[in-house]
Amino acid sequence: MKNISLYEDKDTFLHHLHPNTKLLYIIVANLVPVLIGTHWVTTCFIILSFLFLLCGKVAQKSLPMLGFSFMILLTVIIIQGIFREGNVTPLYSFWGITFYREGLTFAVFVTLNVINILLSFAILVLTTKPSDMVEAFVQLGLSPKIGYVVSSVFQIIPHMSEKMATITDAQRSRGMETEGSLLIRLKAFVPLIAPVVMNSLIDTKERAIALEVRGFDLSVRKTFLHAQKRSKLDKMGQTLLFLVLILGILWRIIVC
Amino acid sequence: MSKRSMWSFKLNTAALVLIPAAVGINYIGKMFASILKLPLWLDSIGTILAACLAGPIAGAICGAVNNIIYGFTLDPVSFIYAFASVGIGIVAGVLAYKGMFTSIPRVIVSGIIIACVSTLISTPINISLYGGQTGNIWGDGLFTICMAKGLPMWLASTLDELVVDLPDKIAAVFIAYGIYKSLPKKLTILYKNDNQVENFD
Repeated sequence: MKNISLYEDKDTFLHHLHPNTKLLYIIVANLVPVLIGTHWVTTCFIILSFLFLLCGKVAQKSLPMLGFSFMILLTVIIIQGIFREGNVTPLYSFWGITFYREGLTFAVFVTLNVINILLSFAILVLTTKPSDMVEAFVQLGLSPKIGYVVSSVFQIIPHMSEKMATITDAQRSRGMETEGSLLIRLKAFVPLIAPVVMNSLIDTKERAIALEVRGFDLSVRKTFLHAQKRSKLDKMGQTLLFLVLILGILWRIIVC
Repeated sequence: MSKRSMWSFKLNTAALVLIPAAVGINYIGKMFASILKLPLWLDSIGTILAACLAGPIAGAICGAVNNIIYGFTLDPVSFIYAFASVGIGIVAGVLAYKGMFTSIPRVIVSGIIIACVSTLISTPINISLYGGQTGNIWGDGLFTICMAKGLPMWLASTLDELVVDLPDKIAAVFIAYGIYKSLPKKLTILYKNDNQVENFD
C-alpha cells in the first residue's frame, strides 16, 4: 500500500526534534517578517529554512512542493506586473506590453512570502511522521478522538485509492467512456465515484462498532504508546525561537 | 424524546468515523476530476455529505481535517485555506438541518449559498497571499480582464473566486445530494446526533 504522506524516514537531528519545536519555528518564521515588515527578514528566513532542509536531507523533496506553487507565482508576476492598480513607473517593455516597477515589486513580495510559508511548513511536513504530529497535538490538548480521526485518514486514503483503481477498471471493462467531450467525462464521474463512496460509508458502520467494542467512547484518560520527550536540543531551540519572537515584538513596539 | 441541537459538540462514534471517510471522498473526488480532466475541483463532496449526514460540527471538523491532510500530502498552502473548508462544512450542515437538501431547486440554491460563503472566506486569503489571484486559468483570465478594465482589485478578486466556485460547488452539492438520497435509511440514522439511550431501571 502506498504511503500518501510526504514524510521521509531519515536519521538527522531535524527528524529527532519534537514536533512542537518545528511548529514554533513555523510561527516565528511567518510572524517575525510581518512584525518587522521588510523583505530582508523574509529572505533571511527563506535561506534559514533551506539550510535546515539541506541538513535534514530533504531539500530535494521540497522542490516538487515549490513546483506546485510555481505556476501561480508566475501568473502573479505577469498579471500584477502589467495590471496592478497604481502602476506608474514603466520598467521593461516588449511586444507593446509594459511591465511596471510597482507591480513587479509587489509580485516579488508575494513570491517571497509564499516561498517562506512553503519552506517553513516543508520542514515540519517532510521530517515529521504524521502520527507523531497528531500525538504532539493531543499532548497540547487536542481531543484524542479528533486525533484518531486525523491519523486514520492517512490509512483510509490509500485504501480508497486502491478501490478507486479497481472500480475504474471495472467500469471501463463494461464499456464506460472516460474520454471525449466534457459532457461524456462529466457523465462518467458519477458511476466512478458512487461505488467507492457507498463502500466506504458502509465500512464506517463496521469501523464504528469495532471502535466502540474497544472502548473508544470511554471518558477515561488516554495514554500514549510512544511518549515523545523534549531533548536538550528542543529546549535550546524553543528558547531561541521564543527570544526571536519577543525581539520581533519589541522591535515593532519601539519602531511604531 | 427531545431533539438535540444541531450544534452539539458531542459527536457519536459513527459520526466521528464518518469524517475520515468523508475526507477520503473529497480526495477521491479531486482525483477522479483530474483523471477525467474536468475543469472543476470537486473536492468538497465529502465535506458536504458529512455535514448533511452528521450536522455542521462534523462538517466543520471534516473541512479542517481535509485541508490539514492536503497540507501534509500535496501543498502546504492548503493549511491556510482550511477556514474556507470549515465555512463550507458549517453552512452545508445548517442548510441540511433547515431542509434545503430535499428537492432539486433547493439543492441549486444551497449550492449557490455554499459557493458565496466559500468565496467570502477565500477572497481575503487570496488577496493577502497572492494579491487576489486563485491559480485557476478561467478565474485568473477573468481577473486579468477586470484589472485591465480598471475595476477595483477586491471586486476583480471576488469575481475570480466566484466564477470558479459557483459551478464547482453546485456540482459538488448535486453529487452529494445524489449520494445522500440513495443511502439506505439504516445507515443514515447512525450518524444523527439525536438518538438517545433509554433506560429501564
